[in-house]
Amino acid sequence: MNTHKLGWRNLLSNPLNTALSLLLMTFGVGIISILLLLNNQVENQLQNNIRGIDMVVGAKGSPLQLILSSLYHVDAPTGNISYSLAKKITKNPLVDFGIPLSYGDSYNGFRIVGTTHQYPKLYDATIKEGRLWSAPLEVVLGSSVATINQLDIGDDFYGTHGLIEGGHIHDNYAYKVVGTLNKTHSTIDQLILTNTQSVWQVHNHNENTPEDPKITSMLVKFKSPIGLIQIPRKVNETTNLQAAVPALEISRLTNLLGFGLQSINTIAFIIIIVSGISIFISLYNSLKQRRYELALMRVQGATKKQLVKLVLQEGITLSLLGTIFGLIISRKAILIMSFYVDHKNTLDNLRLNLTKEELWLFPVAALIGLLAALIPIIFVYNINIPKTLSNA
Amino acid sequence: MLKTKGVTFSYEEDSLISFPDLELRTGENLLILGESGVGKTTLIQIIAGLLKPKTGLVELNGTNYHKLTQKKLDQFRGKHIGVVFQKPHFVRNISILENIMLSLYLSKNNQEPKEISRLLSQLGLKNKANSLADQLSQGEQQRAAIALAAAKKPDIILADEPTSSLDNSNCSKTINLLKKQALSNKSQLIIITHDQRLKDEFKNQITL
Repeated sequence: MNTHKLGWRNLLSNPLNTALSLLLMTFGVGIISILLLLNNQVENQLQNNIRGIDMVVGAKGSPLQLILSSLYHVDAPTGNISYSLAKKITKNPLVDFGIPLSYGDSYNGFRIVGTTHQYPKLYDATIKEGRLWSAPLEVVLGSSVATINQLDIGDDFYGTHGLIEGGHIHDNYAYKVVGTLNKTHSTIDQLILTNTQSVWQVHNHNENTPEDPKITSMLVKFKSPIGLIQIPRKVNETTNLQAAVPALEISRLTNLLGFGLQSINTIAFIIIIVSGISIFISLYNSLKQRRYELALMRVQGATKKQLVKLVLQEGITLSLLGTIFGLIISRKAILIMSFYVDHKNTLDNLRLNLTKEELWLFPVAALIGLLAALIPIIFVYNINIPKTLSNA
Repeated sequence: MLKTKGVTFSYEEDSLISFPDLELRTGENLLILGESGVGKTTLIQIIAGLLKPKTGLVELNGTNYHKLTQKKLDQFRGKHIGVVFQKPHFVRNISILENIMLSLYLSKNNQEPKEISRLLSQLGLKNKANSLADQLSQGEQQRAAIALAAAKKPDIILADEPTSSLDNSNCSKTINLLKKQALSNKSQLIIITHDQRLKDEFKNQITL
């Protein structure tokens, strides 16, 4: 038996107080940790899907919507644009390449995207089985699409008009699976890819290329940053198309999200501080009840320092244990959340290792344990042994 | 040996308590009798190094321990002085055995389980070793308090009214155990009491 073990025994002998302090600490830390993890996750996913695309050209409308729909495939498209007009933009010598995207149909909620072979290349998506499309109506499946729908090479399916399940079914032409892609941890995992010709064919009900073919948007990469300064402005001012810059829109979006995160963060910090107060009250109360035993320990030879350490140990143990529980619980919570969010979520690439920001929670928690123990320590330090013992 | 000389103490400016000089050799016992309010507890707290005397000298085996720093005094008291309080005190959350272990740890003595269990059986507490203090009767608590003070084999055991709350049979039992422990540890024993039942138990006695 020593003071270290005694500290543990004291915590265990007061299970309700200990549990309350731990619970509050766990909650506060847990909420902050969930926010940090999600924030990280979202930022990662947002950055990961930009893939060096400098500009997206589409129909006029909200620039954020254009970015969300053509880079992340989470929003409705802004409208259709003329393919030839979009192609004209890519003729500019400052442009490295442009990738056309035609979408608007889906299968079981997975989007069917008409594009070129450059698109899977952009996402480093390699063929797992089969081959890329070479004729209209041939499709290649992203890895999640293949596993969730249990589609195999050679299977046929009809596309649904619109991006949600239950729309009109285009039953005039069936798509045929010719290949599947390896997992890339990006949006392409959730897409069904085909060529632009297929999309025209399904919608126009004939196999001829229309006179003025339409696409939904064009992903553009510039050769040099100068393009970024000149071209988006030029497109917006001189054509009836819209040019949106992903980097700009995404930072606008994260700023908007950041504000919400900030307020939840503040609430979580308040919970942590309340937990500090709870630790303080439970330490102080139990020490007041135990003042005779503190005096007794001093009579038995304990130095002031030993008793101070005992109190500190109890305070810091509570706050650090709460922190560890909080970090564990936040991870469990995210795993459970990602289970309930549908298959199209962007959480399938979960990173649950300790983040740099989370490491900060440890010194903060230790500090709160220290502050909570401060007044009890002063009490222990100044305990009047003869008076305490004779008032027994 | 314990030696006090010219010890006085005052709680307030105008009232001064002076105590008789004491000299006690190893193995000797002393009963200090006195009515309530004459400063019996004050004297025992001075000898225990818990209160500093206003004037005078207190020495144990040649060490004037009131001159030591607070930390050294705490350690000196822990090692050399065992105190049995009027009302027994224990650390509540741990068992009697663990209380004894803790007191040995705090006084930097070895924790010898065999010796502790022998001590506990001498005091009739063998089957109470793993009980919490709250689960013990008053007589058992008083005996456990003796075990707590005696386990570290101190040079001197101070007992403050150890029998005041005990009935006659527990009273003589407790005193005999105290004497026996002091004898086997070669400790000096000082008992301070107003309990007239103890008058005949000690040869060496003074009245405050």
